[in-house]
Amino acid sequence: MSAKGVLVRVSTYAALIVMALATLFPLLWVTSIAFMRAPERFAGTPPLWPDHPTLVNMVNIVHQQRIGYYFLNSLIVAAATTPLSVLVAGLAGYALAQAKFRAHRLVSWIVMFAVLVPNQALVLPLFEMFSAVHLINHYAALILPAAANAVSIVLIQAYARGIPADVLDAARIDGASEWRTFFSVVVPLMAPMLAAVAVLTFVVSWNDFMWPMIAMQKVDMQTLPVALASIDREHYQNIGLMAAGATVAILPMMFVFLASQRYYLRAVSAGSLTD
Amino acid sequence: MARLELQRVSKLLANRQVVLQDIDCTVNDGELISVVGPSGCGKSTLLRCVAGLDKITSGDIRIGGQRVNDLPPQQRNVAMVFQNHALYPHMTVYQNLAFGLRVRRVARAIVDARVRRTAVRLGLEALLGRYPRELSGGQRQRTALGRAMLREPGVFLLDEPLSSLDIPLRAEMRRELSALHTALGTTMVYVTHDQSEALSLGQRVVVLADGQIQQIDTPDGIYKEPSNRFVAGFVGWPPMNFLDGDWLENSGLDAHCIDYGIRPERLLLQPSSSADAFIAGRLERIESFGGEWQVEISRNGSRVIARVAPNPELRRDNELRLWFRREDLYAFDRATGRRLQG
Ligand SMILES: Nc1ncnc2c1ncn2[C@@H]1O[C@H](COP(=O)(O)OP(=O)(O)OP(=O)(O)O)[C@@H](O)[C@H]1O
Ligand SMILES: [Mg+2]
Repeated sequence: MSAKGVLVRVSTYAALIVMALATLFPLLWVTSIAFMRAPERFAGTPPLWPDHPTLVNMVNIVHQQRIGYYFLNSLIVAAATTPLSVLVAGLAGYALAQAKFRAHRLVSWIVMFAVLVPNQALVLPLFEMFSAVHLINHYAALILPAAANAVSIVLIQAYARGIPADVLDAARIDGASEWRTFFSVVVPLMAPMLAAVAVLTFVVSWNDFMWPMIAMQKVDMQTLPVALASIDREHYQNIGLMAAGATVAILPMMFVFLASQRYYLRAVSAGSLTD
Repeated sequence: MARLELQRVSKLLANRQVVLQDIDCTVNDGELISVVGPSGCGKSTLLRCVAGLDKITSGDIRIGGQRVNDLPPQQRNVAMVFQNHALYPHMTVYQNLAFGLRVRRVARAIVDARVRRTAVRLGLEALLGRYPRELSGGQRQRTALGRAMLREPGVFLLDEPLSSLDIPLRAEMRRELSALHTALGTTMVYVTHDQSEALSLGQRVVVLADGQIQQIDTPDGIYKEPSNRFVAGFVGWPPMNFLDGDWLENSGLDAHCIDYGIRPERLLLQPSSSADAFIAGRLERIESFGGEWQVEISRNGSRVIARVAPNPELRRDNELRLWFRREDLYAFDRATGRRLQG
């Protein structure tokens, strides 16, 4: 390798390492704070590393704050939202990309428009709607609005355009119904993008704050981010407790991302769909 | 196995552009018919209409006597081999072959037996575990063919299946296809833009241009008795020479409102009898094809090509006479392009 090549490589890696550290540092610090004793956490800026590691914050957050309860609420909502949303976006995105139907252009425009509408603008109408059907304080209030996600549809539509039309026609001639073609041919070909959308949906659902706060007014039904925010309000400046909550909240996302990393990266780096 | 009938089939696009116009054609049970025409003339559209992938605007399509106009592709009992193979990229060769049978819920053991039998027949048995991206062009071709064969269709539709192969492989696959047709005895429609492929493979040939059938006949008939100027110029290589008035000024032929044509292999260096006529021009080019030469003469900017035996006496830039028998001339109406007999 030439001297210039080495230089380029070294500076690329240096930049990547700096960015990785900048991203990871707050996560590591929060995790570290979660294991600190009370005196340390009152010493102004907390140190980077606990002198005497302790589980007291973890025990507190689990026992006193019943964090497991809220964790479960979040998990139920995210676990139900993700497959539902992927299915809806998969069908809609594929149809918009490959099917010929009359209102095609109109529907495409509506979806594109929906991408532009900020979530905050939806809170009020959503609340009216879900109140009207008495679903406030039900999991459905969080799951249903997330089931049709315009961004996911647009992502999948763009990816599904790459499926060769002849391959779909071949399946039809082979005798496959439209559903069979979708599940046996389209879904496997879109797998990387479906996985990416699944991860995205899970993370968005897990972190969602505003709508869950409004839709889940019973404490029992609150999701983790909402519950953590109220801990902050009740135990002002108990940084250790907050950090422990945040650490617990990070875990499933770490898990989801690591488990799907392979597919996720393939979609982001846009693999080719043709043989 | 089934007979395929097209009756006054037309297809218009949404913008009213005519892609197929009044197609009338019957493919007999077990016949191999080839469809040939220039790019964009509607060959693929014709196959897609028969398969049910495109809807026709008017007319009737019958397969085995049953009117299939309103049947979806799944129910038409046809198999199709696509120009670019269209294999399922995420399935192995085995799964590609088996898919059609699995869809129709054929028992696993039967599927397995039939897939393996077809694989052996096509020389694919060692490749069953591979994915399409791991195959050569010829192997993909065979897989696509196998997938269609396993359907045991009434009608086999092939859309330029050999166009992506190199020339030696193409000749080999062409022989295999021909043998396959003999063995299967299935009705086949073979689309190609290569006229030599159409003539060598088809029992009959359909010549298509601008969405209209120009002629349907046996390969010999198409070659010897082209029905119009288009067919005459499209079939045969090098193409038929068309001679305008200048070429024929000393032949005593009436070139008024008539285009004359002659095939390059019918032009001779020596007269074969005293009744022969000749054309004369400057020898522009000699191209050797081993046992045969192609020579090109020109006159007032128009060119004529002849296929002749190698002859060392020929010199570039010399005047050359090419002789022909008058009955080898084709005559076409200049206005309509229609062939004039006699
Ligand atoms: N979906 C479509 N939209 C617009 N025009 C189309 C469409 N499908 C076909 N056409 C037009 O119909 C005509 C016939 O197309 P077709 O693909 O049947 O030609 P072809 O004979 O198969 O050509 P080739 O030898 O290049 O494959 C062309 O002029 C093409 O532009
Ligand atoms: Mg074509």
